[in-house]
Amino acid sequence: MTGAQTAGNSTGNTVNTVLGPVPAQELGVAAVHEALLSVFPGAQYGFDVTLDRAEIFETLAGKLKDFRRHGGGTIVDSTGMFHGRDVRLYETLSRTTGVHIVASTGQGPEEMLGGYFLTPQTNPPTPWPAEKFADLFAKEVTEGMVVPRVERRGAAGLVATAATLAGMTATDESLFRGAARAALATGVPVSIRFGNDAVRDLEVVLDEKLPAGRVVVGGLDRRDAVAAGAPFEVAARGAYVALDHVGAEGTGDTEDDTHVTDAERAALVIELVEAGHGDRILLSSNATGVAKGHPANDVAYSAVLTTFVPLLAKQGLGDGDVRRILVDNPRDLLSVR
Amino acid sequence: MSRVNTVLGPIPAEELGLVAVHEHIGYGMPGSELDTKWWKTPEQRYEETVPKLRRFHEYGGGTFVDATGICNGRDVDYYRSLSAKTGVHIVASTGFVGGDTALPFFARASVEYLTEHFVHEITVGIGGTGGRAGVIKVGVSRGGRMTDLDKRIYRAAARAALATGVPVLTHLAIDAENAIAIFDAEGLPLDRVLFGHVDDGVNADKTRDTWIAEQGGRIGFDTFGYETELEDPPFWARPRKERLDHFLRFIGQGHLRKVLASADANCSPLGWPGVKGHTVNYIFEDLIPDLRAAGLDEAAITTIFVDNPADFMTIQK
Repeated sequence: MTGAQTAGNSTGNTVNTVLGPVPAQELGVAAVHEALLSVFPGAQYGFDVTLDRAEIFETLAGKLKDFRRHGGGTIVDSTGMFHGRDVRLYETLSRTTGVHIVASTGQGPEEMLGGYFLTPQTNPPTPWPAEKFADLFAKEVTEGMVVPRVERRGAAGLVATAATLAGMTATDESLFRGAARAALATGVPVSIRFGNDAVRDLEVVLDEKLPAGRVVVGGLDRRDAVAAGAPFEVAARGAYVALDHVGAEGTGDTEDDTHVTDAERAALVIELVEAGHGDRILLSSNATGVAKGHPANDVAYSAVLTTFVPLLAKQGLGDGDVRRILVDNPRDLLSVR
Repeated sequence: MSRVNTVLGPIPAEELGLVAVHEHIGYGMPGSELDTKWWKTPEQRYEETVPKLRRFHEYGGGTFVDATGICNGRDVDYYRSLSAKTGVHIVASTGFVGGDTALPFFARASVEYLTEHFVHEITVGIGGTGGRAGVIKVGVSRGGRMTDLDKRIYRAAARAALATGVPVLTHLAIDAENAIAIFDAEGLPLDRVLFGHVDDGVNADKTRDTWIAEQGGRIGFDTFGYETELEDPPFWARPRKERLDHFLRFIGQGHLRKVLASADANCSPLGWPGVKGHTVNYIFEDLIPDLRAAGLDEAAITTIFVDNPADFMTIQK
């Protein structure tokens, strides 16, 4: 391991799922960056947006069962607290399908926040500082995730935030620092999606003294990140490297097409393993089980297992490494410390 | 046929009675619902709200216009129950208090989508509630100048107002040149627009109320009661006499038919502490007595609180 924080032994640790703490050893194959119900903030009020819970449940249950059928154990909904998270629905889904579901607190980037955080009713309207975000997020772990204006339910298992693609804004930085402090205070990990510089954005949460082994950096299979060598640098600092657009077959032809292909992604996995970073790699799809108000990423949660693992095997990755990436790494990340 | 959309269905404008034209059942910035520090039980919300509406009704209040925009805690099912149980007509808004209260889904939407959304809420209903919006809320974001998003919302509001006949109500009347340019370009007569908050403590000096009235706009002195004399005044408070003098001076310039007045109070605030002691009933308990004491006759008071709002609120189709 090159400069990485030792993950340590997760035996005896637990993970916060929507149905309560679960022994980390029971997670099985875990996908750390997925979305169950993904609602673009405000879409719930759109006149032409329908949210039929029965239909949403049926769709998500089908996808979760497919994941389980192919050997999946745990889905992490990493969309945070303000993007359609529906804790009660996820509890029922978990009970019905037998898939462990970890839900997340956090929000971001800045553009996705409500005015309450950006232009508060104060003069001047100063955006929220890190400390207030830290408190908001930490309480979702220690006191439970909010069902807005109704109640708190189970504990969040992860703090997820993101930076503006054009580059981290001041409020994004407050979100990152707040997320790091909440993670430090509660023991859950942090997930960050970077803006235009993965390593620099990672440094912000590390500057809060959060051990790198408590951080996963998402989107490192973005073309710009791969070109910059970011996956290796992130791993060298000891953070988890999420290659989390498995199933995206980016050709780079269009603006939306910003991720590498599965073949390139598989080659990257092999290179990372060869560089000694096998214990830092995470695979996921950023699939949106049900998307409202934004385009869906209609990839199966099982895509990693059904299409990507065979690709890795063909390139010579051994079963031990595959298991480490799919089971051990997410288990170590998600274990509450 | 004269008609106004209330949350319980259309009513004749003749039945509006005394109108509080810019009020809130409960207002919270979008996202405040995530912060438990503001949460109230439904019992508490009804307890804080019902007596104020009942008192409003007993004082002779007819209609309460809720100026809470989409994403600000607007809750039409709740308004319907309040209206049915207290006898106060409640008019709900479509639109946004300002671009900075529109969540990303709407912030990214086109003028065409926003127009369609507003028209839907006015002609079909708000969500699945069956209640239709009776007025379109627009406003200027924090910072004093209209943002691009504010302008898109104003343009969509103008188009929806023309398509449906409901009026437009603004949060702040600063940067009115830009607002009026949009309404003019869309062909919306300015008497369909109430330029609100001309009297607030922060912006009154920067608000060209006389100029707006000369262009044909209606003028809202609608933050009555937010006074520096309060125990814990908000930053937009203003000395009571200064606001009253401003209002009387404005009426004295021949603009009686152009003015509307309200208190912009929250019955039960959603995402902020609210202002202790300030309710919609300021209109009856303080404002109307002050106007009488200043020599306004009953006809003038009726013009301000009954006739002008009826003209404004009536669907023009």
